[in-house]
Amino acid sequence: MTARERRTRILQMLQLIPILSVLVILFGGALVMALLQSLGFAPWFGINTFPDFSYFGSLWGSQTFWVSLWLTLYYATVSTLLALVFGTMLALALIKAFPGKWLYKYLYKLPLMIPYTVGIALAVIMLSSGGVLSRIVAFAGLIDDPGQFPQILKTHYGWGIIAVYVWKQTPFITLAVYAVLLGIGRETEEAAAILGARRGAIFFRVTLPQILPGIVSSTLICFAFNVGAFEAPFILGGGFPDTLPVVAWRYFNDADYTLQLQGMATVVSIGIVAGVILFAYLWVYRRYERRMGRH
Amino acid sequence: MKPKVSILSLVAACAATSVWAADPDDAAFRDAFLSGNADWAAVEARAAEEGGVNIYYWGGNDLLNIWMDRVVAPAMAEKGVTLNPVRITGTKDAVDLVLAEKHSGKGIGQGSVDMIWINGENFATLKRQDALFGSFAQSLPNSVNLEWDESDPRAMLNVRDFGVPNDSAEVPWSGEQYVCAVNSARVADEDVPSTFAELKSYLEANPGKFTYVKPPHYLGNTFVQEAVYAHNPDGTGATPFQQSVDDIAPEELARLIAPGIEYLQSIEPNLLDAAGGSPRYPEDNKALDGLFLNGEIDFSCKFGLYAVAKGLEIGTYPEAAKQFVFPENTMIKNKNYLVIPGNAPNSAAALVLANWMASVDSQVSKLESVGMPSGIDGWKLSAEDAERIVNASPGLIGVTQAELDANAAPDTNATLVDVIEATWLEVIERDSTASIEEVVATAYANLGK
Repeated sequence: MTARERRTRILQMLQLIPILSVLVILFGGALVMALLQSLGFAPWFGINTFPDFSYFGSLWGSQTFWVSLWLTLYYATVSTLLALVFGTMLALALIKAFPGKWLYKYLYKLPLMIPYTVGIALAVIMLSSGGVLSRIVAFAGLIDDPGQFPQILKTHYGWGIIAVYVWKQTPFITLAVYAVLLGIGRETEEAAAILGARRGAIFFRVTLPQILPGIVSSTLICFAFNVGAFEAPFILGGGFPDTLPVVAWRYFNDADYTLQLQGMATVVSIGIVAGVILFAYLWVYRRYERRMGRH
Repeated sequence: MKPKVSILSLVAACAATSVWAADPDDAAFRDAFLSGNADWAAVEARAAEEGGVNIYYWGGNDLLNIWMDRVVAPAMAEKGVTLNPVRITGTKDAVDLVLAEKHSGKGIGQGSVDMIWINGENFATLKRQDALFGSFAQSLPNSVNLEWDESDPRAMLNVRDFGVPNDSAEVPWSGEQYVCAVNSARVADEDVPSTFAELKSYLEANPGKFTYVKPPHYLGNTFVQEAVYAHNPDGTGATPFQQSVDDIAPEELARLIAPGIEYLQSIEPNLLDAAGGSPRYPEDNKALDGLFLNGEIDFSCKFGLYAVAKGLEIGTYPEAAKQFVFPENTMIKNKNYLVIPGNAPNSAAALVLANWMASVDSQVSKLESVGMPSGIDGWKLSAEDAERIVNASPGLIGVTQAELDANAAPDTNATLVDVIEATWLEVIERDSTASIEEVVATAYANLGK
């Protein structure tokens, strides 16, 4: 290795160090501690039965864990899919010219700048059975008291949770897909149109394969967030059985300290489930890319 | 490979730390104060030297937050101490912080929490984890405002916290009673229940118009405890629940709590939103207040002697709200406290703050501004001071103090609270098919873990 090569290599290492140290020390350290605690290592509470798989055993052995897992995946998947459909539609619309487009381009990004908690508060204020909508309906005399308003929030259908996720993530997916669309230009679509392809065929055979990288990366991020998110299902969810992050929080928040280890086992389970799904998703995508001849 | 090694050594260090490390100066001060060898002037001088005090407390009450900033902070500033109020969403956060710091080796004088507003299981945890400053409360000059003579049954509220002897490691700050309020615009006077049986028949006629806070929140736990007391098959009310978990066999506890739990199961189909599939239990105080204000529920039960008076004043309660006696003979009464953790960095300043909080002036001001009941004992005060306390109270609405006193009951032992709460979660929330006896036995086994 020449001196020059060595200098470049050192510079490269220096560039990598900040993110690497954050990942290894903070993230890696927390991960190791979580794993240790979930396996019975918590001497500061006077508990040390390491290695002890009973926390995972009792968690996975209970039926409610699987119900919670199903709810978690259901909210995450439905919201991601809805946001994907709306986001892609919006991106395709934005690429074309229409009156007022300049304003619309700023308007659709608004939810990106508003925090989740504010979105949740908006949902509570508007949609709850004591909320603005119910009061308007009661005032109009359609129902006798606001409490009779049909329940939108706090049910296990999760309309409130899904609404907040979709509201927040549609612009995110739009942004990602729109950027890819701008990059690829419209020539291939136009060529297909000239050759007589119909609109559906153009989208599925020409546009979709090209925007797929944007779709995969943005849905990956949204899905991972939705699986691990806590506030929306906590505030807008239907109570027991809760999603897994809420279950974990309940264990942590209990004044009974022994439950904290059960909480750690729940957190680790969320990590395992999310990890497996995301890696499977990426693996399928990579195979597809390779079949398409891309690397 | 290096990072891995350092994490492992960190873990090893954590495992090794089970005794207090100590800042020698702070340790000397603590020993001197606890053994009675530090006069109060020296404590105040040291407090001014420390210059600040970090009090961690539940920040969900705006009136209390304002009082801390506008009244407590200036009072402490006069003593040369800057008050740093840390508002937390749950007391457990502060307890977690103290324990986390303790386990990472921060000992006497080296932590970051000087004082926590606390009671019940959280105090029991600190005590069990040996994370307390020590028996300071009776050495404060203002401790003369409190009854410490244990031959007087009224002293129990000062020396026992949820049945756990507190060894004066915390000073009483406020006294509370679990009182229910009714929205009298929606419920006729003759329909207001005074027993659990009457509540049940009210709910059968008016389904969905009541709910209680979800255990393990303490407001929910307390409702469950009252139901358990009232349905005690021996008719001995709260008495057997004063014992610690070590003194009562699981089968016996199961027998005592079964009727109460079964009662709660039986009203479940008529609770809020139960018609839509599953009943809704609010998560906390704020959510409960919201349901009551919106007219979604007709009764609201929580700790709040003056909650109605204060709620009407600031508009968080419906206009026709008033208090009522429910359930007869089992309205749980307790105190809440200020505790100094063992690794408090400004322990002298914390002592000065604790002493100020136990003064008549601060209690009167807290009553007037926040509506938090007095934590000091009226009969220990001069007639004039006792009257100031009475006059400062925002007032009861719909009940008299005599009625509340006549129906008072003590809290459940903190160790039993864990078991009863676990039983509620298993039987009522998770609809477990196991018998109550099996559930209690499992909860006992988990405690021993």
